[in-house]
Amino acid sequence: MSTNGNEPLLAVDGLEKYFPVRSGFLFERTVDHVKAVDGIDFAVEEGTTLGLVGESGSGKSTTGYCVLQLMRPTGGSVRFEGQELTTMKREELRRMRRQMQIVFQDPYSSLNPRMTVGDIVSEPMEVHGIGTRRSRRESVRRLLDVVGFDPTFTNRYPHEFSGGQRQRIGIARALALNPKLIVCDEPVSALDVSIQAQILNLLRDLQRDFGLTYLFIAHDLAVVRAMSDTIAVMNQGKIVEVGPAEQIYNSPQNEYTKALLTAVPVADPRRQRERKAERRRLKHALSEGF
Amino acid sequence: MVLNPQQEEFRERAMTRERGGGVEAGAPVRQTSLWRDAWYRYRANRAAVVAGVLFIVLLLYCILVPIFSPHDPYAVDFSEAYLSPSLSHPFGTDQYGRDLFTRTALGGRISIGIGFAATIAIMVIGIVYGAISGFVGGRVDNGMMRFLDALYGLPYLPFAIIVTQLFRTVDFWVMVIALTIASWFTAARVVRGQIISLKENDYVRAAKAVGARWHRVLSRHLLPNTLGVLIVFVFLELPGVILGEAFLSFIGLGINPPKASWGSLAQDGRDVYLAHPSMILIPSIAIAWLILCAFFIADGLRDALDPRTRET
Amino acid sequence: MALLEVSDLRTYFSTREGEVRAVDGVSFEVESGKTLSIVGESGCGKSVTALSIMGLIPKPPARIVSGSIVFEGRDLTQLRDRELENLRGHEIAMIFQDPMTSLNPTLTIGTQITETLRRHLGMSKGEASRRAVELLEEVRIPRAKNRLDDYPHRYSGGMRQRVMIAIALSCNPKLLIADEPTTALDVTVQAGILDLLEELREEHQTAVILITHDMGVVAEAADDVVVMYAGQVVEQASTVELFDNPEHPYTEALLGALPSLEGEGGRDARLASIPGRPPDLLDPPPACRFAPRCPHANLGDYCTVEPPELRELRPGHWVRSAHPTSERAAVAV
Repeated sequence: MSTNGNEPLLAVDGLEKYFPVRSGFLFERTVDHVKAVDGIDFAVEEGTTLGLVGESGSGKSTTGYCVLQLMRPTGGSVRFEGQELTTMKREELRRMRRQMQIVFQDPYSSLNPRMTVGDIVSEPMEVHGIGTRRSRRESVRRLLDVVGFDPTFTNRYPHEFSGGQRQRIGIARALALNPKLIVCDEPVSALDVSIQAQILNLLRDLQRDFGLTYLFIAHDLAVVRAMSDTIAVMNQGKIVEVGPAEQIYNSPQNEYTKALLTAVPVADPRRQRERKAERRRLKHALSEGF
Repeated sequence: MVLNPQQEEFRERAMTRERGGGVEAGAPVRQTSLWRDAWYRYRANRAAVVAGVLFIVLLLYCILVPIFSPHDPYAVDFSEAYLSPSLSHPFGTDQYGRDLFTRTALGGRISIGIGFAATIAIMVIGIVYGAISGFVGGRVDNGMMRFLDALYGLPYLPFAIIVTQLFRTVDFWVMVIALTIASWFTAARVVRGQIISLKENDYVRAAKAVGARWHRVLSRHLLPNTLGVLIVFVFLELPGVILGEAFLSFIGLGINPPKASWGSLAQDGRDVYLAHPSMILIPSIAIAWLILCAFFIADGLRDALDPRTRET
Repeated sequence: MALLEVSDLRTYFSTREGEVRAVDGVSFEVESGKTLSIVGESGCGKSVTALSIMGLIPKPPARIVSGSIVFEGRDLTQLRDRELENLRGHEIAMIFQDPMTSLNPTLTIGTQITETLRRHLGMSKGEASRRAVELLEEVRIPRAKNRLDDYPHRYSGGMRQRVMIAIALSCNPKLLIADEPTTALDVTVQAGILDLLEELREEHQTAVILITHDMGVVAEAADDVVVMYAGQVVEQASTVELFDNPEHPYTEALLGALPSLEGEGGRDARLASIPGRPPDLLDPPPACRFAPRCPHANLGDYCTVEPPELRELRPGHWVRSAHPTSERAAVAV
């Protein structure tokens, strides 16, 4: 399925995103930088999922945006299918966008409230001039069906649907151009547990059926574990540990990773009591207080 | 979880009972349109509803009375001058014997006409300026806003007066131009603010991620969502414009006779207000009526269209 | 006798489209020194239950239709607003989900703490300030004395939540209601807050009602659990008992839907999802509210016609279902 057996679908090297802190009265000068992403490297093989996990402020969402060039990185390289994205010309990048899409976290702000469901899902095809109006309508129906959303509701508006339903619409939109890579930016964080499971199952099925590659960004370690082949742990703009999923969970090497793992409460009262003791021990080991 | 056919059927039935069947996602949660919701919320605000009715009454008065009035609003007949209110002259007559009931209605047409025309012109300029500034951002936005700040420093009325004096005669459109030039700044600010906050929404990012070009993002995603704010703004801007026109006419720098606006009608009554107070009171009340209605309507619209309460 | 006894509480909201039965017959007890967790997904009525106990439901659209809330022998539903105000903050305290908006940004931290102390305990300014410093130290805010004059924006989310806890505990309440106190916080911060709550609870023997949607938090912090669905209690037991032997199909499904951090699972484990959505509380299903989504309900079952009652399956373990796990196993084909 991969174009080149050796080259990963997505390769990120030394990625940096610094935000300038400006101050000054009349002429604003840059006095400092917020280093949201501070030099990270990772690679994602085609058809697999890389889980990018970290707490708020770790830079994981910014990384996702930089990969897709929705934010321009201030340094480093992003190679997709062997091509360098950071220096690509606008038109070429626009064409590349058909191969890489994104699903957002907030089901309430990720859909334009003034567009119908049908319009939202067909927009990607309209933008790239794919198909006729009729064929696009057909594609929209098919896409909605694939994500488990009733295709007869294409004339409704987003506000008529629940969070989980809206996420399905967002996923259908992401699939519209038949991309190879989908960046999932906390796609289930805003959903209830039972709906979360529906969406995670859906994402896995879609990956299997369409050979998708995911960059799966989340703060919930258990969710990431359910989705990922490889996991990268981020803290304050840097990747502190990366490796195959089970290795990270069973034998974490980095102190921060360990602290993160022990802090997550597990749905088992007896086991949780043990973990609490472990956590207390680790707290003394780490210099930062919680 | 694997289900037997009986369970499958039961679930189909049950989900159908939940307002429409469907696949795993289920049926829509609620089935009202955004506008209907807004209408209900507007209706809940009693002051806004009353104001709306009174506003329409005023509009109808201005539109219909001159059509059906038996009096010629321009005919001069000194024998009829300064009559008190009566059945044939509900508001009395002015110094030339002209029926004030009709003239006030005509004046309303001019005043309200100028008001709406100027407001719409302000919106258009404001949208263009504000959208460019907010959308492009960065230094362009900075520069455009500083320029705007400088313009704010110009005194409103003298500025409008100067513009009117640039033209030979002051007619309807000159007033509109003058008032627009003097007061488009706030509209630009408002639109810019809206665009900037809307830009943060994920659906804008999604459009960019798909490869939509800037004009599509602006026309399909940003501007349509400023609609609510703009509608409210129209009713907030209207009073200011109308007062501006009224004031200019009152001091004699407005619409030239014989065309009259409420302001110039008030000016007619300025010298004789002690003897015939109705001549200045009536146009003033008309202006106040319009302004109060506009404010209450704006208030009601703001509650009705507030996006924050929409998403529950 | 339990500290708090809620019996058949019903809180309804009158909306344009009809009456929303947000809480529809909820009963439970809380004892001093123990933590009861109310767990459920959004819309199940857990927050409205908490607000009803505090008397903080918005009175025009919402009202307590029936039921009683007996706190130390007094029925809170019968009290006047003034009496409830005296109780709030003093005997019953509440902390909320979003620490960013729970504190007044225009008042210093010190003022917000001393305000409560002076209102309920009648302390002087000096006494209150001293006590405020003590409280901040109790919640582990470093260099408490210097931080009294800080404004909330100088505090991180976790620290603000600690301040909220300090304010809540300032008058030594007998009952603390925590509505999703850690949902908005990072997981490492959450762990610290839960630890703190436990220590404080032991020290002061406060009863705690912990509202959450996170089963992990329940496992960590709660002695007893109440599971809510569509405005009703569907299962109630001690924490260990609930996790060991979940009886209600919804509880089972909820536990099965959780991706697991340890043990089997990972990439290939299928998550048990519940199809469909929770029912509309405007017009709930006449019989069992979970039936439409329940994998064990069949067309002819009585639970599709009659609402099942909450019954005590085992001592201390209550279930509202016609198909609890233990009974299903007995008749397994």
